[in-house]
Amino acid sequence: MLAYLVRRLALMVPVAFLVSVAVFSLIHLTPVDPAELILGEEHSPQAVAALRHELGLDQPLPQQYLTWIGRALHGDLGRSVRTDQPVAQAIAERIPNTLELGIAALAWSVLLAIPLGTIAALRRGSPIDVLATGFTVLGVSVPNFFIGILLILTLSVGLRWFPPGGYTPFSESILDNLHRLVLPAITLGTVTTAINTRFTRSSMLDVLNQDYIRTARAKGASWRQVIWDHALKNALIPVVTIVGIQVGSLLEGALVTETIFSWPGVGKLAIDSIFGRDYPIIQGIVLVIAFSYMLANLAVDMAYAWLNPRISYA
Amino acid sequence: MSAVYGPTLPEEVAETPVSPPTSIRTLFRTYPRVAVASGLLLLLVLVALLAPWIAFHDPIATDPSNALLGPSGAHPLGTDELGRDLFARVIWGSRVSLPVAFVAVAVGLLVGGAIGLAAGYRGGLTDLFLMRVIDAILAFPALILAIAIVAVLGPGIRNAMIAIGIVQVPVYARLMRAQVLTLKELDFVAAVRALGASPARLIVSHFLPNLLNPLIVQISLSAAAAMLAEATLSFLGLGAQPPTPDWGFMMNTGARFLNNDPWLALGPGVAISVAVFAFNWLGDALRDALDPRLRQ
Amino acid sequence: MKRLAVGVIGAFFLSACASGGGGTTSVAATPKAGGTLKVAIESELRTLDPLKSSQRVERQVYYNMYESLVKIDASLKIKPGLATAWQYTDPTTLQFTLRQGVKFHDGTDFNADAVKFNIDRILTAASSPRKSELASVKSVEVKDASTVIFHLKKPDAALLAQLVDRAGMILSPAAIQKGGAGFTLAPVGAGTGPFEFVEWKRDDHLTLKKNPNYWVPGRPYLDEVIYRPITDSNAALAALRTGDIDVADSGAIADKDVATVKSDSTLVYRSTAGLSFGGFEINSAAGVFADMSKRQAVALALDRDQIIKNVSFGVQTLSNGPIPPSSWAFDPSEKTYAKADANKAKSMATGFAFAMKTPNDPTDIQIATLIKDQLSKAGITLNIQVEEFGQVLNDAEAHKFDAALVGWSGRIDPDGNMFGWFHTGGGFNDGQYSNAQVDSDLEQARTESDQAKRKALYDDAQQILVKEVAYVFLDHGPAQEMHSTKAHNFSLIADGMGRFGEVWKD
Repeated sequence: MLAYLVRRLALMVPVAFLVSVAVFSLIHLTPVDPAELILGEEHSPQAVAALRHELGLDQPLPQQYLTWIGRALHGDLGRSVRTDQPVAQAIAERIPNTLELGIAALAWSVLLAIPLGTIAALRRGSPIDVLATGFTVLGVSVPNFFIGILLILTLSVGLRWFPPGGYTPFSESILDNLHRLVLPAITLGTVTTAINTRFTRSSMLDVLNQDYIRTARAKGASWRQVIWDHALKNALIPVVTIVGIQVGSLLEGALVTETIFSWPGVGKLAIDSIFGRDYPIIQGIVLVIAFSYMLANLAVDMAYAWLNPRISYA
Repeated sequence: MSAVYGPTLPEEVAETPVSPPTSIRTLFRTYPRVAVASGLLLLLVLVALLAPWIAFHDPIATDPSNALLGPSGAHPLGTDELGRDLFARVIWGSRVSLPVAFVAVAVGLLVGGAIGLAAGYRGGLTDLFLMRVIDAILAFPALILAIAIVAVLGPGIRNAMIAIGIVQVPVYARLMRAQVLTLKELDFVAAVRALGASPARLIVSHFLPNLLNPLIVQISLSAAAAMLAEATLSFLGLGAQPPTPDWGFMMNTGARFLNNDPWLALGPGVAISVAVFAFNWLGDALRDALDPRLRQ
Repeated sequence: MKRLAVGVIGAFFLSACASGGGGTTSVAATPKAGGTLKVAIESELRTLDPLKSSQRVERQVYYNMYESLVKIDASLKIKPGLATAWQYTDPTTLQFTLRQGVKFHDGTDFNADAVKFNIDRILTAASSPRKSELASVKSVEVKDASTVIFHLKKPDAALLAQLVDRAGMILSPAAIQKGGAGFTLAPVGAGTGPFEFVEWKRDDHLTLKKNPNYWVPGRPYLDEVIYRPITDSNAALAALRTGDIDVADSGAIADKDVATVKSDSTLVYRSTAGLSFGGFEINSAAGVFADMSKRQAVALALDRDQIIKNVSFGVQTLSNGPIPPSSWAFDPSEKTYAKADANKAKSMATGFAFAMKTPNDPTDIQIATLIKDQLSKAGITLNIQVEEFGQVLNDAEAHKFDAALVGWSGRIDPDGNMFGWFHTGGGFNDGQYSNAQVDSDLEQARTESDQAKRKALYDDAQQILVKEVAYVFLDHGPAQEMHSTKAHNFSLIADGMGRFGEVWKD
């Protein structure tokens, strides 16, 4: 187990290097000169040259990379082109908002998926099962922005039950914050719910077929007891690990969901920055996301290996 | 957006070589789901091919005085903000989404397959290096990588295809590599090689047939993911540019005019959902049909 | 009982006055002190320093925090601001008498030294959009604490109008120096206006609070003004309707939603002719449009009415030239290209193609698409090239374009809509249009002080540049006021700026 961890970490080093090089080159692959970009409308040739020198853009690329990665490790990710705010600060301010949205989405997803998947497995082949299975395929097929638009159309423009977006900080009004959280959380959580339902169902089916379940039933244990004591706990193990992988799907979904609902999280910042040509922010966000995602995947793989020693990682 | 159906580890799949089904007809008969899903997909492709004849209106011709009309006899889905027939635009949208999905998957398959093949066959440092490149691609959530690539290259269908193609590479690389690694160890390979058979013959007669089943499933699921990714990129304004009728972009416009005319968003939204669903459903059905481990 | 009845009737009366949906704001009621005004602006600002500002949306905030030497009223007449009187002692010497007893938000005194400091700051800046606005100023002299003299290089009839806006805004020298590099994002204590800076959380909100020592007694009524950038026009509309927002900057609400605002009885909508012109730049110096007959063909084939009706639902008004109807220099007889004539266009020139740089904005793309179809009826092919707005400006400035869909927000003085755009070598003359008669007209009009004579010069120049299609004019935009019925006493001025010094809330 420890050997596996060490090996994985060692392999991550070159990957981390490749990732950082890729992110670094983002700003240099664009057709527009970064210095011109930052100066915007006031770019005279002298001003551009001066800024290039100040930003170190006239140094050889490898040296620029080293400077950049050195600063990044100290938490200095540069400054936003649009607002001159430190990138790290801009991202840090918005992480709590994205977390709030992500946790809400994950919460209702798990609350719905586990019972739904369990029932579908128990009543295999019944109409409920067919519906649930159909839902799992549909849930990953309908684009999340369509779901968001449908929710806005029906519940906001139509019934006026919810506002079509915006954000109120907790400090101002907890109730309003939660009120505005509903629609985006449903939108973001739909794909996750579909995946989790599917997975709960299939792992539940696996478990239910196991001998020890049949033995327990043969010994006279009630279905309720069997499910609670044996089936659920064992079936949940793989579900728990797959929830870890949901982080990626939630991050992806957040980009679009936050944009539609004007939710001021990291996702909306990323999209706004792309259209605002704010490359330092784009770089910073991509770097942070990539490294968080890598660490999350590592944690999940660890958990999976620990819980399921039959899979050998040769 | 890699295949979202839970971890079917390519290594596990490759461990159990399965012989391909005897014929498609048998497949359809034994698994009616596959038949229906294939039918739906075929219908979609037909719609895309026959668009010029089914559409009845020019999808690009503007008619400003008839803008934002609701559904009617002349315009089954109404008109958009420039008076263009929405039904025609939705039909023609398939001619953007389907090719993009196919090309992106092809890119992923060919590039990823080549990488996986090289890594598995050569082993050693080549394997180590190539797999780290693959890991680097997988370090990013798929959509975020695609968006970053398009943000750098600039918006457009061509760059969207490249970006989504790159995102598809890891799955095929791993699939191919796992298959090669498994077969490399089997005794009969050594025997056949000792008898002087060329690697090419090995690939064609022994390697590919075993790969076919998981590959078909993966292609179908990849196409679904690719189509969804293209729609998302276009919705964000990073993919197909106007006036090309593209479902994702049409939904972006639809979202803006939600207060004025909801049909602008509903038409393309349903279209995307149906198309992606068709691919996902087929992949799902094929997996159940072709993979014995998942049989209940 | 009687008091209750009176109260009820009184309340009835007041509410009847106040809830005139789409009508005028009630002035009958007495202003109430206090309250927070929440304002939606169309995008985030880049800077709070007028020296560096280049966006219209920034001016919205500046006019409530900072004040200029002079102001304008609803008829665009120049009125006293921080200066109470002014006169030209000779054509190149402009003397201002400054207002007494005004203090900056940081407590320091407003005086002639402060004025000199601010103007010098512009004149000596390495680069600033203000420099070209004060191009005619040679130096500023402090005569005494309340008298300041501008020495000009040559007469400039448009100078006073320029001083209404950012070039004439006077900030506290002490605050500028104290703020240092961070001043642009946090100008603490810098203005003299009715509201002072509190905090700015980018992409979230910008807060101003009441200036307790404002030199106008009893003003402002409001305690606080909070600006929120809302880039999605649907979201802004929803926020306005639900009361999340009290006021919407006109740029924040899309033209297509104006009808919704008008028909909402909880909202007030007023509009008046604005200062802007919209359309596209055309490259007269190189490429396919160096041939004037082709430019004229395009201008003739364009159906402006159709575009205005389809894209803006009639909110914009047809434009025949750079000078809008709100200006004293407006020429109603100018109608050369008012009606589309595809056949006449074909006879002038046909069978050619050109590319139009279009900003990546849905409304612009919609306009470009319509133009493309209209021109195809005259046998002219338009290729739409969608680009980032910054990129479009870059290409235009580098003269690398045939046509570019760029408009102008407009200036108070007609010089502001003409000189930089149509004089040879002008700062906004990306199309490199050049006509000696127009040049001489514009130069003369700048130095001429008699308004009637100036108008004659502008009429002449406008006729020429419109006939020769120096720019293809599409529309003029209105100045709009959109707010909740609970907010009162706005002043609707053609520059479309939201000034809240007199506003009060229920």
